Amino acid sequence: MTAAKPILLAEDNPRDAELALAAMEAEHISDKVVLCHDGAEVLDYLYCRGQFKSRLKGNPAVVFLDLKMPKVNGLEVLRAIKTDVNLRPIPVVMLTSSREERDLTESYALGANAYVVKPVEFHKFLSAVKELGTFWGIINEPPPESCRPSS
Amino acid sequence: MESASNHHSPAPILAAETPKPSASLPAGSPGIWHVLGAWFHRLTIEQRVLTGFSLVFVGILIISAISYHNTSILLTNSGLDGRSHDLIQLLNTIDAAMSEAEDAHRRYLVTGEASYLETYKKVVRQKPTFIAYLNDLVRESTEQQQRVALLDRVMDRQLNAESKAIAQFQEGGFRAAKKMALEGAGKRELGVIHQIITDMDLHERQAVAGRVIESAAGTRNTIVLLGIGALLQLVLLAWVYYLIRHDITERRRVAGELQRRGELLEAANKELEAFSYSVSHDLRAPLRHIDGYAALLRKSVEHSLNDKAARYLQTISDSAKQMGQLIDDLLVFSRMGRQEMLRTTVSLDQLIKNILSDLRLDLQGREISWTIAALPEVQGDPAMLRQVFMNLIANAVKFTSTRPSAAVEIGVEHPSSNEIVLFVRDNGVGFDMQYASKLFGVFQRLHRADEFEGTGIGLANVRRIVHRHGGRTWAEGVPDKGATFYVLLPTRRLDS
Repeated sequence: MTAAKPILLAEDNPRDAELALAAMEAEHISDKVVLCHDGAEVLDYLYCRGQFKSRLKGNPAVVFLDLKMPKVNGLEVLRAIKTDVNLRPIPVVMLTSSREERDLTESYALGANAYVVKPVEFHKFLSAVKELGTFWGIINEPPPESCRPSS
Repeated sequence: MESASNHHSPAPILAAETPKPSASLPAGSPGIWHVLGAWFHRLTIEQRVLTGFSLVFVGILIISAISYHNTSILLTNSGLDGRSHDLIQLLNTIDAAMSEAEDAHRRYLVTGEASYLETYKKVVRQKPTFIAYLNDLVRESTEQQQRVALLDRVMDRQLNAESKAIAQFQEGGFRAAKKMALEGAGKRELGVIHQIITDMDLHERQAVAGRVIESAAGTRNTIVLLGIGALLQLVLLAWVYYLIRHDITERRRVAGELQRRGELLEAANKELEAFSYSVSHDLRAPLRHIDGYAALLRKSVEHSLNDKAARYLQTISDSAKQMGQLIDDLLVFSRMGRQEMLRTTVSLDQLIKNILSDLRLDLQGREISWTIAALPEVQGDPAMLRQVFMNLIANAVKFTSTRPSAAVEIGVEHPSSNEIVLFVRDNGVGFDMQYASKLFGVFQRLHRADEFEGTGIGLANVRRIVHRHGGRTWAEGVPDKGATFYVLLPTRRLDS
């Protein structure tokens, strides 16, 4: 059941994305990852519109959100998810370079489920992404499907 | 700088204005005016306004006094005029009475009619009253008093002569007194009396005329004085108004300037914050990539990697990590300068205890003898002070790591009642005092990176925090013997 659910990774930086995918590859979950390059793409995916019009219906197991993204930034995506009654149950993990207090405060205030600072050292980054992918993509039981954009 | 010079500009304007009156004054006085100008220049605006109002007050007092003086002269003169009037009237009465007495005694001598004698006697009876009244009216003029005395004597003479004639008539009848009856016994004196009375009358009328002129002049002077006084008061008040207005304008300008600077400062702070944010966010990403791709590279060429190539890759990773640490430290340092400070009572005993407990992992396998004095409570930001002592103690631990038996002492000195000095002393590698000034600089290090690790930001943080607490820091060291770091904190509560 859960294995079928994709992991949504929002990351504008292709290198960060590649490193994250490389980390998940080691855990054999990289094939579940859907990569979005900005906040607008994340929303397109969640609302099944634009390039994701014809995707399989259903919410992702988890959304990994970068804070700084073009078009729609991470906090705006987070707000959109947590204010939509159908999207609210999706676990959202902030995955960012920022350790600034106001980002932390605002993220949790908006309802983020976790906040992870990307470590500079690759081995730490590797283990962080692995653990996140494993926990949210495999171990965690996602909320029952309630999103039916077009039945 | 520009506005600072603007701020001082009003003083020279005032100074240039005050000595102006000296131009219209005789030579020699400019010195006094110069001194006055210098004195005035030193006064605060409140004192200047007070001086202005005091001058106005003194002016009002002087004008009031002079007006009072002039008015009392007018009142006195009008009183004197009344007396002069009475005197002139009395003189006429006396003149008439003496003529009547002369006339009555002659008629009596001729007719022997008792009613004439009675008229004469009435005048004789009135005479002392006349003189007394006269003396009273002329009591302020010696000239007139002399005339009254003369008049008194001449009147006596006339009346005596007439009395003598009446007595002869009563003794020897008309014949005996015939000559006197025809000529009049006091006829000659009567002329003198008339003359004296005319003199007195003239004198009094002149006095009245003099007083009229004096009163008119006094009134005119009073009016002129009041006019000038009012004008002067107006000028003074206008000056005070100018001072106050100028001050208010100046204050308003300064307040505006302060507000503008505050806004600029706030904008600069916001910018700095945005900058720090951007640094923390964007500078880390490339470092992560360097380390990440180095790791991926190592992984993909693992089988063909020789030792040299492996070391190169390791160096790339280490450098990236080091720069990450530098960025983190710099951000902390920048935040220490901007962060709001708390002001509470901090127990240093408890603080040190907590720090040592947090450092226990670093202390594993180390032989350190600790000497920690009983430490006081201080006023300050607990988190910031913790950072100070964390840095100092971690330094002491780090720089004694080459010692087989390390010793660290934490103590306190009380140089004066309003400040305390805390120190952390170690027997580590120490430092050369000629580099002491560099110790607290940002990214300044006295040891090579391969001797002791660290980014060189710790003591810069210590200094910044201690400065924000109103204190100062310094250090003493001897190479290979040890170092002592001092932190002076004010014990009074700071109002920052």
